[in-house]
Amino acid sequence: MVVQTNLSSRIFFFLIALLFSLADSDSDSDLINELVSLRSSSPDSGVIRLYDDDVSKFLTSVPTPRPYSLIIFFDSVNLHSHSKLQKFRREFGLVSSTFISNNNNDGSNNGTKLFFCEIESTHSEASFHRFNVESLPHISLVSPTTENLTECDQMDGGDFAGLAESMAEFVERLTKLTVGPIQRPPFLSKTQIGIIVALIIISAPVLIKKILKGETLLHDRRIWLTGAVLVYFFSVSGTMFNIIREMPLYVKDDEDQSKFVFFIEGSEMQLGVEGYTVGFLYTVVGLLLAFVTNVLVRVKNLNEQRMSMLLSLVISFWAVRQVVYLDNWKTEYEIYPYWPSSWRH
Amino acid sequence: MAALESPQPAATATAMRHAFGNVLSVLILVLIGVLAFSIRLFSVIKYESVIHEFDPYFNYRVTQFLSKNGIYEFWNWFDDRTWYPLGRVIGGTVYPGLTLTAGTIWWFLNSLNIPLSVETVCVFTAPVFSAFASWATYLLTQEVKGSGAGLAAAVLLAMVPSYISRSVAGSYDNEAVAIFALIFTFYLYIKTLNTGSLFYATLNALAYFYMVCSWGGYTFIINLIPMHVLLCIVTGRYSPRLYIAYAPLVVLGTLLAALVPVVGFNAVLTSEHFASFLVFIIIHVVALVYYIKGILTPKMFKVAVTLVVSIGMVVCFIVVAILVALVASSPTGGWSGRSLSLLDPTYASKYIPIIASVSEHQPPTWPSYFMDINVLAFLVPAGIIACFSPLSDSSSFVVLYIVMSVYFSGVMVRLMLVLAPAACIMSGIALSQAFDVFTGSIKYQLGRSSNSTDDAEDTNNAPKDDASAGKTDKGEEIVKERSSKKGKKKEREPADKPSVKSKAKKKALVLPLETSIVALLLLIMLGAFYVIHCVWAAAEAYSAPSIVLTSQSRDGLHVFDDFRESYAWLSHNTDVDDKVASWWDYGYQTTAMANRTVIVDNNTWNNTHIATVGTAMSSPEKAAWEIFNSLDVKYVLVVFGGLIGYPSDDINKFLWMVRIGGGVFPHIKEADYLRDGQYRINSEATPTMLNCLMYKLSYYRFVETDGKGYDRVRRTEIGKKHFKLTHFEEVFTSHHWMVRIYKLKPARNRIRGRAKKLKSKTTSAGWSSKSEKKNPWV
Repeated sequence: MVVQTNLSSRIFFFLIALLFSLADSDSDSDLINELVSLRSSSPDSGVIRLYDDDVSKFLTSVPTPRPYSLIIFFDSVNLHSHSKLQKFRREFGLVSSTFISNNNNDGSNNGTKLFFCEIESTHSEASFHRFNVESLPHISLVSPTTENLTECDQMDGGDFAGLAESMAEFVERLTKLTVGPIQRPPFLSKTQIGIIVALIIISAPVLIKKILKGETLLHDRRIWLTGAVLVYFFSVSGTMFNIIREMPLYVKDDEDQSKFVFFIEGSEMQLGVEGYTVGFLYTVVGLLLAFVTNVLVRVKNLNEQRMSMLLSLVISFWAVRQVVYLDNWKTEYEIYPYWPSSWRH
Repeated sequence: MAALESPQPAATATAMRHAFGNVLSVLILVLIGVLAFSIRLFSVIKYESVIHEFDPYFNYRVTQFLSKNGIYEFWNWFDDRTWYPLGRVIGGTVYPGLTLTAGTIWWFLNSLNIPLSVETVCVFTAPVFSAFASWATYLLTQEVKGSGAGLAAAVLLAMVPSYISRSVAGSYDNEAVAIFALIFTFYLYIKTLNTGSLFYATLNALAYFYMVCSWGGYTFIINLIPMHVLLCIVTGRYSPRLYIAYAPLVVLGTLLAALVPVVGFNAVLTSEHFASFLVFIIIHVVALVYYIKGILTPKMFKVAVTLVVSIGMVVCFIVVAILVALVASSPTGGWSGRSLSLLDPTYASKYIPIIASVSEHQPPTWPSYFMDINVLAFLVPAGIIACFSPLSDSSSFVVLYIVMSVYFSGVMVRLMLVLAPAACIMSGIALSQAFDVFTGSIKYQLGRSSNSTDDAEDTNNAPKDDASAGKTDKGEEIVKERSSKKGKKKEREPADKPSVKSKAKKKALVLPLETSIVALLLLIMLGAFYVIHCVWAAAEAYSAPSIVLTSQSRDGLHVFDDFRESYAWLSHNTDVDDKVASWWDYGYQTTAMANRTVIVDNNTWNNTHIATVGTAMSSPEKAAWEIFNSLDVKYVLVVFGGLIGYPSDDINKFLWMVRIGGGVFPHIKEADYLRDGQYRINSEATPTMLNCLMYKLSYYRFVETDGKGYDRVRRTEIGKKHFKLTHFEEVFTSHHWMVRIYKLKPARNRIRGRAKKLKSKTTSAGWSSKSEKKNPWV
């Protein structure tokens, strides 16, 4: 928030400055300078946050051909729970920082021909209408000659499929500027790798000594047991399905936004909560059975045994019934026994 | 079940009981075999004795070739009927285990003057091997937790739906024999581990060889066993038995695996096998440490350990470095795409559409588990816990097995098949333990109410202790015998067990009578539900041969035999050397049943070739004609389910053709076939979609059936109803329109075509101007 107020106050300052500078006939270079300074003050990877006023200032009120292109990412804080949008925003930032670092140092003024911007829906709804944005993610490139903002080049589905690389390709194709190879921050920096390797080497003798003595956590059966049961739980919950398909934990009801939907019909799909619930039901029965056969038999008090066992049995029975019910509901299978035909009437 | 053995070596009565128990076990095992075989016959009873689906047809064709021409011809077989014009070296690219097995059975039966056809042998190979697999499960589980658990596990495996799905009569595929080989290899590994016998170690390598011959899934074994060895070493369970179980397997197993042509030098060159070599080195280092520890005094040992460990570490580092360099030098890091998609689950969906397109490579949702292992999903955690009390080398192996397989099954639904035996073993252990406790409690409580309490305490205590103690004693005896032969140190495992036993002796481990009875009844209900589910699954869900389809409606049973009808048409009405193009799914069937040359088939070894066919199917008629003509194709076969509502037809697979085609030929773009990201064939479909070959061949004259062109699979009216074909002519459409075969029109005389072209320019509406310019045949 601090960054944002900072930014808006800066914009306010620039607006004032702009009023004075409008008198100047050679306003192109002013606009570029302004964009450059906005870019350098932008908190992340040189993406400029535009507001409704900026759109008219930098785009609609400037006669074509403009001396620069803008590539605009349309963002919405409301949709940040949708993980793809945030991913695209990150990739967009990567393209931006790559472009800046590749074009600012080479002497040519290519760095001032293209600016990466973003427009946020809650603050700048008017701009969304101006660009005729209906769905996100939406990335538009406003070339120097674009007059009508609804007709600017849009990144289509094919370009969205990929990551920063395909965005860069889109930019290069339309602006004839080079973005260069995307510079991703490495997963681990070199010093981090060095530290890790050093730690491993230093701790190796200690670890080996411990292993030989048999004192590590690895020798604790409970850890192995817990690990095995956890892996089982996560697998039967279909966690891998949720990860690969990027399923949300739950969705909101289409008709009533305040309602949550946790279970969906059809065995081709599942939601996160749904999977974990059933995974829990799968696991709890086995755990209770193990509890009864391994722990409860050692309890001396008969009544205690009786009560806990009854409780376990009731829970297990309920869990199995629940899973059978859910499965029949979800798959719509109707399982029936094959009795001998003479038994039927 | 567990009361089959008795521990007290007292008198003849006990011996009698023992003998009776053994006879009963054998009888039960025979019955389990019968059950495993007969539950898989639903497909034969409900349909007929045919080979199922796609891959089995190829295996059947290979087996036919083998039985006709002998093993040497088979080994050198170059098949020119497929992947035209490339052909395929069959001998070097198939896992020969299944075909050799069925061929041997056929040969054996024939030499006994039992004249079965090759097809019959192929149809029944899978059920027979399921019976073997149940027996192997018994052996494996018995090694881990005694024969009670073994019998329970075997009966569960005999009817586990996941395994039934791959082994019904007629499903003549690699998995049919491979699951048996997998379980048997594990059994021999455990057996070697428990006995330390080199005899079993050799058998183990041979079983592994059979597995390598049978199925690409052998990599699961060669990674799981090293992992277990490593686990044993890390948790301080190293023993000479472990060394004997592992070292011969790696050496002999790798040598034998390299003998299989399809594996060859992959057995030492690909990353899937590196884990085993790494562990091979580690186990030697550890063995050396233990050896030195044995011959040195503790003080000297401390000095030596530093030396040995540092040398060992240096060696390890060098080897690791070499491996890393080797791995880094190959483009995919030496891993095959399928294995990579197991480690990084999102890999395939990003980079390899041909793997991602196969439905059995999708991750499963929770109902899949209920469908495929049913109530076993509830019992497995109890089995895991039972394996930890007490934890032995063998029980830690089955725990590792279940953990790995359940993880992999979560990535790929196909690997549910590998999970199924593990789940059966675990559930068998859990069930057997629960039955022991409950029946033991009931027996004890009943005995206490009738006898005087004190006497009963000792005698009736027995049932519970019998079960566990019986197993331990037996296992212990063998272990002691072997280890004394080897004259090595005391083992940890036997040392653990007596303490558990003595603890159990102290107090009667019983539960209240009423609740035990209730629990027992609930368990039996659970088992009954499992049986009902499995029989239902075998009869309804997994028995369809998918070459013959049936549907039950109000006016009776409908049989759709369109596939065989069309393949028969092809074989009777086309020239023997004609080439037939279709999507790869139907390649094996076309070569096996119609005996015609195909362009691509289910062995998806050449992505470019498949992409070419995909591109042709996604292109407009003219471009497609050119592609097909360049491949000498005479006929194009498409499968269409719109009339009768058969959902797995080519229109539903079409997006994959576009994706795979577009992966190689970038002018095919998926977005051109989608309207707002939606795949449509109705009036909202894109022009590219409505003009592509697949659409035209599927829906040509479709409007004549009902006047509206209503597609029952997509549940919509088609977008473009009246159109003519310019470069293809319809030659055959099967009874229910499921298979449609088109012939490529011959190229006409160029000059005459030019004159005609001008006329047609006005008539053909949906053509792009570019293709009209060059099109001489309209």
